[in-house]
Amino acid sequence: MWNVAELSEGVTVGAAEARPAARTRRFDVISRRNWFFGLSLLIIIPGIVSMAARGFLLGVDFQGGTEFFLNFKNSPSTAQVEAAVAQENVHGTVQAGSNGVFIVRTGVLTPAQQEQVRGDLIKKVGPIDEGNYRAASVGGVVAQETVFYALVALVSASFLILLYLAFRFRRVQGGWRSGFQFAGSALLALLHDVFLLTGVFSILGKVLQLRIGEIDSFFLTAVLTVVGFSVHDTIVVFDRVRENLIVSQRLSFEQVVNLSIMQTAARSIITSFTVVLVLVALLLFGGDTLKGFVLALLIGIVSGTYSSIFNAAPLLVVWRRWQAMR
Amino acid sequence: MQLVLSWPVRIIVIGLLLFSVLVDGAGYVYRIVNHYPLTGQVPGLPPRYGDWQLYVHRGLDLQGGTILEYRLTGLPPGRSASDVQRQTVDVINKRVNQLGVSEPDIRTEGSDRIVVGLAGISSARAQEVIGRTARLEYTKWVQADKAPAGRETSAGWKPQFTGLTGDMITNANAALDQNGQWAVNVQFNSTGSDLFGKLTTDNVNACPQTDCPQRHLGIWLDLTQDDIDRWEDPARVAQVTKSPDQGGKLLTNPYTIQPILGGQAQITGGFDAQTAKDLATEINSGALPVTLTILQSTDVGATLGADSVKKSLGAGLLGLVIVIIFMVAYYRAPGLLASVALLFYAGLVLALFKAIPVTLTLAGMAGFILSVGMAVDANVLIFERFKEEMRAGRTVAAAVDAGVRRAWPAIRDSNVSTLITSVLLFGFGSGPVKGFALTLIVGVACSLISSIIVTHNLLAIFLTFGGLRQPAVLGVERGRAV
Repeated sequence: MWNVAELSEGVTVGAAEARPAARTRRFDVISRRNWFFGLSLLIIIPGIVSMAARGFLLGVDFQGGTEFFLNFKNSPSTAQVEAAVAQENVHGTVQAGSNGVFIVRTGVLTPAQQEQVRGDLIKKVGPIDEGNYRAASVGGVVAQETVFYALVALVSASFLILLYLAFRFRRVQGGWRSGFQFAGSALLALLHDVFLLTGVFSILGKVLQLRIGEIDSFFLTAVLTVVGFSVHDTIVVFDRVRENLIVSQRLSFEQVVNLSIMQTAARSIITSFTVVLVLVALLLFGGDTLKGFVLALLIGIVSGTYSSIFNAAPLLVVWRRWQAMR
Repeated sequence: MQLVLSWPVRIIVIGLLLFSVLVDGAGYVYRIVNHYPLTGQVPGLPPRYGDWQLYVHRGLDLQGGTILEYRLTGLPPGRSASDVQRQTVDVINKRVNQLGVSEPDIRTEGSDRIVVGLAGISSARAQEVIGRTARLEYTKWVQADKAPAGRETSAGWKPQFTGLTGDMITNANAALDQNGQWAVNVQFNSTGSDLFGKLTTDNVNACPQTDCPQRHLGIWLDLTQDDIDRWEDPARVAQVTKSPDQGGKLLTNPYTIQPILGGQAQITGGFDAQTAKDLATEINSGALPVTLTILQSTDVGATLGADSVKKSLGAGLLGLVIVIIFMVAYYRAPGLLASVALLFYAGLVLALFKAIPVTLTLAGMAGFILSVGMAVDANVLIFERFKEEMRAGRTVAAAVDAGVRRAWPAIRDSNVSTLITSVLLFGFGSGPVKGFALTLIVGVACSLISSIIVTHNLLAIFLTFGGLRQPAVLGVERGRAV
């Protein structure tokens, strides 16, 4: 028994090196990398243009102001609600949802003023469903702080992840410098996801004028989750590269990276797929309040998986080549 | 990886399982222990163990209510900000108590903020009570034939305004007096000192030798002339002379020992540390030490949140079922074991939410549902690796071991990076973001336990049944049973 086991171990070591390469479908991501970079830019550039030119549709917690969520029982027309809001003299805008739901945005109001506006609207338009009521008011100072802390959290998270990954990959041939190549490529893939997501939301909110494209605390949370998720996928690929660099020393760096991508693609796609399943269920059947949040996660996670497979690893190759040429 | 399969680790896992079952089913445990029926209304739920009550704490966005964030401005000079902040919280607590809200959440944030969370109250009503400046009034006592007795007050006497009010008090604090008894020291400004000096002199002169009603000064909150005009009504007098936390207006009715001319009064008699502090707070709250500016407010109707909970939980359950179906279909027996581990995970997270407790908000719930998806990740990594090792011709046992061992670095690194982001979110975020980050931290920690330890153990136990080591059962293309 012992001998057999030993023998099979011996065979395994040899096979593990050659077999996955032979068995996995050969699809050369690395040599087609410019196509994949191009595809990413095709989505990101319009997004960046939109962000620069149009900015974002800011939620009430990022912009400051008061937002009412009113559910009129008599399903009034938008014009009716608008007329009533106009009389309040609170710089209000009205957005209609489904089934008599209206969202009214005004400048910052105190609770007493909110009560006043609410009472007036009920008087002029019709009764509302009291249980289904929501009003949120955020002062300009808090809004600015929220945006500031959001950026601080994003930048420091990126920085710490960069350091952590550099530390983890420092033992790869080339030492800390290699470590930072791995970490840097992961970070670029991560920024890819952040820019893609914010860009798409800028287009949704400002160009297409959809409310789902609103940027608020929930969106910020989604971005940071996507950051974590995207790094997950990238790490799985890079971890394989790290391992294969030791196991398959006969292969070139490009071949090792491509092999690693192929070996991990199934896992990355399956994991994302399971999360996408949960998210689609949430998007279709979850509460209205979460729709924008779930959509952001959905876009971000698909983007994160794509960038890990088709951007992060190829970037690593480009970086290595570029450094070798210098 | 031998450590993972060792008995101490297994015992810890079994302990966690027992903990989850007991905490998640705390309501049922309570019913069984107390011989109550398993369904329907039962007194004493959710079960309480001392200060510790086991149930899912829902945030105000889910149960309906109001959240107000205030900034403190106009701090009195010469007092530390944190001291004033604490005192203001005490005052707000007192005022909010009148609303009869269960579990009001009043806490400081940063160095100049206070956040108030109240269930089932509109923000306009809350602001009315919190922002109200209660009027502190000093009264003397004048004869009135039909006046009934009240708490601390005598029959035949009714109060009369003196013009001395809370505006003239600069500070009140609890301290020990020269006899080592708890007392409340009150300090007046110059107008107040003069008035108080005159009142106390009159008091003592009214009956120099003995205690009589005229020798007392009533200290009231929001006493009105209307109250005084109707001092014949015994029910009303009884109500008005109750203490403010019982819905009345009389703080105290102290006896004047001697004329006080320097503006430094001391109220003594029967206080302990708590009651002295309470009275000082109440005298102070007549004049809140600071101006409260509203920074933000949120007002949520009672059914809006409940609706979101129902929908999101339903969607989450649906997602869980789909994930389980997918895992079983794709990975067969290992997928089934991973699904069992996933249920263990969900149960453990819920138990921790109840026990810590983590207040569950809408964003937090999204984090929880999302972490179910992420919890699968480690399993997928291990199983994919396992399949690969099987393809490479390893034995089942060796492939399981290698799968776990080789997947570990990726699992570790990816979870650490998630922890980095969630800890930062927790540190920098506010409100909903914080809730999300906390659920994510709890989720990541639990998912590591469930996916690595639980799945691996289940798999190891499962594989001891030789007949089950079939490629079809294990979902691999080619394997060798040993």
